[in-house]
Amino acid sequence: MGIYKYAVLGGACALASLLNLCVAAKADDATITVWSQDRDVRPAPNLIADYNKLNTGIKVEYREVPFDDLVNEALRAYSTGQAPDIIAVDNPEHALFASRGAFLDLTDRIAKSTVIKPEVYFPGPLASTMWEGRHYGVPKATNTIALYYNKDMFKAKGLDPDRPPQTWDELVDAARKLTDPAANVYGIAFSAKANEEGTFQFLPWAQMAGASYQNINTDGAVKALDIWKTFIDERLASPDTLTRGQSDSTATFNSGNAAMAISGPWELDRMVAEAKFDWGVALLPVPEEGAERSSSMGDFNWAIFSSTKHPDEAFKVLEYLVSQDHRMFRDFGLLPARTDIPFAETGEPLKDAALKVFLEQLKYAKPRGPHPEWPKISKAIQEAIQAALTGQMSSREALDQAAKKIKVVLG
Amino acid sequence: MRHTFREKLMLAVALVFTAIYLFPLYWMFVTALKSGSAIFASPPALWPADPQWQIYAEVWQNRNMGRYIWNSLVIAFGAVAVISVLGTGCAYVLARYRNGWVDVGLFLILMLQVLPASLMITPIFVGFSQIGLLQYPRLAVILAIAAKSMPFFVVLVRTAFMSVPQELEEAGLVDGDSRVGAFFRIALPLARNGIVVSAILIFMQAFGEFVYSRSLIQRAELQPASIGLNSFMGPNTNEWNGIMAYATIYVTPILVAFVLLQRSIISGLTSGALK
Amino acid sequence: MKGILSSFVDGKGFDISLVALPLTFLLTLSGLPLIYNVLMSFQQVDLFSLGTFWRPFVGLKNYAELFAQPETWPIFANTAVFVVSSIAGQFLIGFGLALFFWTNFPGASWLRGLFLVSWVMPGLVVGAIWSWILSGDFGVLNFLLRESGLTDGNVFWRSDPNYSLWGVILANIWFGTSFNMILLSVGLSAIPTDLYEAAELDGANAWQRFRTITLPMMRSSIGAILALGLIFTLQQFDLFAAITNGGPNNSSNVAQYWAWELSFRQYDFAKGATVSVIMIVFVVLASIVYVRSTRHEVRR
Repeated sequence: MGIYKYAVLGGACALASLLNLCVAAKADDATITVWSQDRDVRPAPNLIADYNKLNTGIKVEYREVPFDDLVNEALRAYSTGQAPDIIAVDNPEHALFASRGAFLDLTDRIAKSTVIKPEVYFPGPLASTMWEGRHYGVPKATNTIALYYNKDMFKAKGLDPDRPPQTWDELVDAARKLTDPAANVYGIAFSAKANEEGTFQFLPWAQMAGASYQNINTDGAVKALDIWKTFIDERLASPDTLTRGQSDSTATFNSGNAAMAISGPWELDRMVAEAKFDWGVALLPVPEEGAERSSSMGDFNWAIFSSTKHPDEAFKVLEYLVSQDHRMFRDFGLLPARTDIPFAETGEPLKDAALKVFLEQLKYAKPRGPHPEWPKISKAIQEAIQAALTGQMSSREALDQAAKKIKVVLG
Repeated sequence: MRHTFREKLMLAVALVFTAIYLFPLYWMFVTALKSGSAIFASPPALWPADPQWQIYAEVWQNRNMGRYIWNSLVIAFGAVAVISVLGTGCAYVLARYRNGWVDVGLFLILMLQVLPASLMITPIFVGFSQIGLLQYPRLAVILAIAAKSMPFFVVLVRTAFMSVPQELEEAGLVDGDSRVGAFFRIALPLARNGIVVSAILIFMQAFGEFVYSRSLIQRAELQPASIGLNSFMGPNTNEWNGIMAYATIYVTPILVAFVLLQRSIISGLTSGALK
Repeated sequence: MKGILSSFVDGKGFDISLVALPLTFLLTLSGLPLIYNVLMSFQQVDLFSLGTFWRPFVGLKNYAELFAQPETWPIFANTAVFVVSSIAGQFLIGFGLALFFWTNFPGASWLRGLFLVSWVMPGLVVGAIWSWILSGDFGVLNFLLRESGLTDGNVFWRSDPNYSLWGVILANIWFGTSFNMILLSVGLSAIPTDLYEAAELDGANAWQRFRTITLPMMRSSIGAILALGLIFTLQQFDLFAAITNGGPNNSSNVAQYWAWELSFRQYDFAKGATVSVIMIVFVVLASIVYVRSTRHEVRR
């Protein structure tokens, strides 16, 4: 009979605590809510905690929203009048909100601000916050992708560890040499997953070959996709590349099961902690010697919802967040999207060397879009990648189909 | 009592089945103990070279798991309470009659839970926000879960009531009991085991509920453990060992409790009130 | 005739009030959202108009567009394969295990309790574990298959279009077996043992006893379990999200995941709702079958 007693007790407890705790909400006049995907070790919650310690009279509440749900939650909240005041949104999705007037136009406020100066930002990240020439936000941080490589494996296979692959042909060649099925080593790890990560990884290749999302079926892009196909077909990369995100595919590099990996600076701390080998970072190889460089541009932007009841206070909070950009790298391991913050050495030689490469690569980073229907464009690209890599279409057919779908979206 | 050879053989076979079935659980446990890159090592190690035992304490502390699990318990108990109160009577009536209305009722109840929570959440969020229920987020989640899981409960408990012989109830009526009395004094106690098993199944589902909690509960202090778990996962971070350690802590106590409880419930059924 | 009050205590009024309250609750909390989805499938839905019921109606345009997409039919076919295989696997294995543990050897009830792990585990966790186990290079399933000599190379459960759906089905069978087993165990334990004793005296063998006693006595349990199994399988979402994301190239995509993907990845809410309405139609058909099957055995 004990069970029933406990069940009743538990139920009573649950009810009691419900009634107790729901009353607590509702605070004073200027409470600003901020949403982002940042968890404890990332900037948003820490900066906000610091801000609240300043006792400016503005109270900031923070909510962590998982990456996958951020946009959905925001759409739903905005539609029902429950949007937060400030949000950190992934840069390709910024235009979705900005173009519809869901974000506050900050152009005039920024013009008067002494803290936020548009001219100090890298052009790519800045462009992603703008819509029709107006400012609808501020870049929060930025990142890009480059080529990690295992120097020990390069040595073991007779490759020069100080001369990583420069061109696509060299990359394929190196991947062939480094692949060693007996030792469970793939030549290269990357992500062709059917989500934004796949697009993020593929677009730089297409762009280096002269294509763009508006024009995705050029010969160059076909060649790029063919090279990806070579990686998969010859088993130079794991077939699971198709369903694995960047984090998991880079982890195989860290564990010594892939000799090279295409990934971003967010991996640096993990790699320093885990990799038991000598490694380096190189710029993404280009189609041929002297070709145009390109890379992806990632990370989030700050924006204020147009529905906010306290636009001035929200802007003050935003200014505070921006004023702390110099801590972005030191405290949180993220790259500020600004040219005026000098790069500070961390004292970790591998990491410092890698960072220099990422900063160089960042100069070539291009935003995805901006376009309000970016998710549909991205989906078309993902489908092309997957159709080609699974062998269900040729690279040409797949990209032609993607181009057709994108044309419909672009109108 | 001496066990026959047959019984020993059965036990051995059962152990093998259980081992196979529990392998994923074992894998969760082992993955938690592996260091970050050992997880991705190929071939995988069935037991880590240097088990990282401290991960459990780390995860418990860093992730504030005590608070999360408390919230999960509140939500799960609340959902069970609402469902049991509303669902039992409904199941009883649906078991008692045989006519077109019962068919319609059963049909409606099944129909209403066809869509996955991920598709129901938008309208529920909209509706709750309009009536101001989002001010009481855990209550909102309890109600949403109750609506989601009640059909399941009703269908199960209905089968339990159907195995209560109606003659017993009629005998009660003859003895001067009212219908209400007959329900509480005869039908309910006899179907008790079925009700408790169903309630426990509901409890466990509610304990792991994710989709509604994620959208309806915005304040971290009120979120359940499933949300805490999800914050490990992201496009650029996947701390698999932490995820698995968290999951282990999350699941084990419930599992142990259930193994202890189910013994008395299900084995009690064979010898219990029904005979 | 008695008054209303005594009718509440003593007659149909009591029954009606017992049913009316939960039904009202369900109609409000599940019925309205369902209608919202159905309406949306006939509407033109703007990203920022989620907060209302009323949007411009476009007739069957969403349906027409949906069926013009090349991936639609393959995805519905996948859904059918997924549902049928998952239910069959879960039910047969669950029934087998329930019968096995029913024989009541020492330790049976303890071990049976352990099988409930999969029910206890949140879908999120189950998905994570299985995406691990099924992974191609370092997945432990491949490791075991290789070591035992069943396969030569690695099977890329998640990434090979020929296997991806089956990978998820495998995980889902694991997930649902315990549910089937425990409910079938409860059903089995309700069968009076004297029936079997009598049959044994009559010289019926094990198979005959199973066919003439167990199956008929279990009919209502089996009906309920299969109906719930259908609904649970159609709701299975976490495993797809964790293991394959419906990929590669939609080879493991099913209606419920696709509906979510359309709504919340491409923000095409109307299409997502359209897919969910088609799912509802299927479940309506299945529910009718279930209700009919339980009809003639409601006790008199």
